[in-house]
Amino acid sequence: MATVPGQLIWEMVKKNNSFLVKQFGRGTASLRFSKESNNLYNLNSYKHSGLANKKTVTIQAADKDQAVVLATSKTKKQNKPASLFHKSVMKKEFRRMAKAVENQVEGNYYRPDLKKAALARLSAVHRSLKVAKSGVKKSKRQALKIRK
Amino acid sequence: MAAAARPLVSVQPLPGSLNDMATDHVTTVALPDVMKASIRPDIVNFVHSNISKNSRQPYAVSKKAGHQTSAESWGTGRAVSRIPRVSGGGTHRAGQGAFGNMCRGGRMFAPTKTWRRWHRKVNVNQKRYAVVSAIAASSIPSLVMARGHRVESVPEMPLVISDSAESIEKTSTAIKVLKEIGAYPDAEKAKDSQAIRPGKGKMRNRRYISRKGPLIVYGTEGAKLVKAFRNIPGVEVANVERLNLLKLAPGGHLGRFVIWTKSAIEKLDSIYGSFEKCSEKKKGYVLPRSKMVNADLARIINSDEVQSVVKPIKKEIKRASLKKNPLKNLNVMLKLNPYAKTARRMALLAEAERVKSKKEKLDKKRKPVSKEELAAAKAAGKAWYKTMISDSDYTEFDNFTKWLGVSQ
Repeated sequence: MATVPGQLIWEMVKKNNSFLVKQFGRGTASLRFSKESNNLYNLNSYKHSGLANKKTVTIQAADKDQAVVLATSKTKKQNKPASLFHKSVMKKEFRRMAKAVENQVEGNYYRPDLKKAALARLSAVHRSLKVAKSGVKKSKRQALKIRK
Repeated sequence: MAAAARPLVSVQPLPGSLNDMATDHVTTVALPDVMKASIRPDIVNFVHSNISKNSRQPYAVSKKAGHQTSAESWGTGRAVSRIPRVSGGGTHRAGQGAFGNMCRGGRMFAPTKTWRRWHRKVNVNQKRYAVVSAIAASSIPSLVMARGHRVESVPEMPLVISDSAESIEKTSTAIKVLKEIGAYPDAEKAKDSQAIRPGKGKMRNRRYISRKGPLIVYGTEGAKLVKAFRNIPGVEVANVERLNLLKLAPGGHLGRFVIWTKSAIEKLDSIYGSFEKCSEKKKGYVLPRSKMVNADLARIINSDEVQSVVKPIKKEIKRASLKKNPLKNLNVMLKLNPYAKTARRMALLAEAERVKSKKEKLDKKRKPVSKEELAAAKAAGKAWYKTMISDSDYTEFDNFTKWLGVSQ
C-alpha cells in the first residue's frame, strides 16, 4: 500500500531497479545514474530518487515548440499513477520560467532542497532547446583552420 | 489496528458493452490485509531461487562415456606419460591416451550424474512469506515501476477490475479492456521486446525471450478470461487460489504488475488471513508480523520524542594544533621561552657590531692609493722600461751578427 515509507522503498530499490545505470566508472570511481523522468540530477540517490520520494519535481522538454514541462507529484495520489503529477507546460521566456520553477519548488516549501537542482535542470533543458538564429554554428576548430 | 480506517480500493469500470452484463455495481472493495504485509526482498529472492530449481529435469553424460576402451598404462621407461593408452596396432587410435579428462575421447572431469540434488525443499512458512511479500509489493507503484512495468497510465494501484472481465471470451475485447484500464502500454512493451535469445540458449529450447507484462488474477474457477487473455504476449493469467511466486516475482524481483478482478481481491483475505485472523485455506496461518510498526525511519528520528532526549549537537570542535618546530619557528619559540626575544635581539646586535668592526679594520688595512703615489709608481715604471731599452742596444758588440753566422 502507499503507506510504505520512502526510506523503505529506497532500501529495496537502490541497488537494483529498471532505471539504474551502473555502467560508468569502476570501483571507487564509479557513478550510478538513474533514468527516472522525475530525477532532476539523474543521479541514483535517495534525495533525487523519483521512486522513493513522495514529492518529486520533473523538468523536461515538452514535445513541441520549445516548451518545458514542469511537473510536481501529488502526495495524496501516491497509489494513483495516472493522476500522480501536477503538470504544467511553460512557454515563457527564461526568467519567468525560472521564477515559476522557484515558486513551485521552494516558494511553497515543496522541496526546498531541490531548488538548485531544479534551476540547473531548467537551464540545461532550456539551453538544449535553443536554436541558433543563423543556422548551425561551425565548430571552433574548423574556423581556426580556415583563418590560417 | 481496528478496521475503522480500512483503506478502500476502487474497482475500475470496464467499457460499456461489458458493464451491461455485470450485476455488481459496487465501486470499492476493502484493501486486503495481505497488501499491508511486510515486504522482504531477501526472503522473496531466496525462496524464488530455490523453488525455481524444482522444475528441473535430471541430465547427465552417459555413464560409460570415455571408458569404452581397454586402455592400460604403459608404465615408466618408455619416455611417454603414464596415462592409460589404447592397446593394439593397425589403427590411429592405438597408443593414444584414454580415460583422462585431458585426453581426446576421454571421460569428462567429474562426470555429471543423474542423482545430483536437483530440487530444493523450502519451508512452507517461508514460501508463504515470500508470496505474501510479493503480493504486497505488487500494490506499490514505485516498486512496480522499479521492476520495469509501464504503469504510468494506470488509474490506481492495486488495480482491480470488475467481475464482468471474467466473462470476456475474445482476445480483442481483452485488449480493449487492457487499453481501458491503462495496462496496455505494459503489454505492448512485452510485445515489442520479443526477440531471439542471444547465445547458446537458442539451441537449448530457450529460443525466444520476452519481457513480462501484466499478470491477471481471477477469482472464479473456470473463468473465460483465461483463454481470452492468454494469447496476448507477456500477459499471464493466474487463479487467486494458485498464486505462484515465480509469476508474482519473476527473477526473484519484487513488484510484478498484477491486475486483480474484484472476486479475486475479495478472496485474498480468506486465503491469506489477516494479522489477527487465521487463514481459511492455510491451516493456522497468520500474516507475518513486521519488525517495525512504523518503518518511516526519518519520521522516527525527527520525532519530538526522540529529539527531546538526544544530546545536543556538539557545535565547537576541538582540533589538535599542528606541532611546529620551535627551533625554526620564532613565534613558537617565544611561546616556550619569552627570553628568546631579548637573546635574539642581542645576538643580532652583536652580530651587526662585529661585522661593522671587522669592516673598519679591513678598510684601514686596504688604504686606498693616492694620486701622487700612483703617478710616482707609473713614472718609476716608465723610467725602468726606458733604461731596459737603452741597455739592450749593444752598440759596442759589432761582431754580434757574426756569431749568428749571417755572413756565411
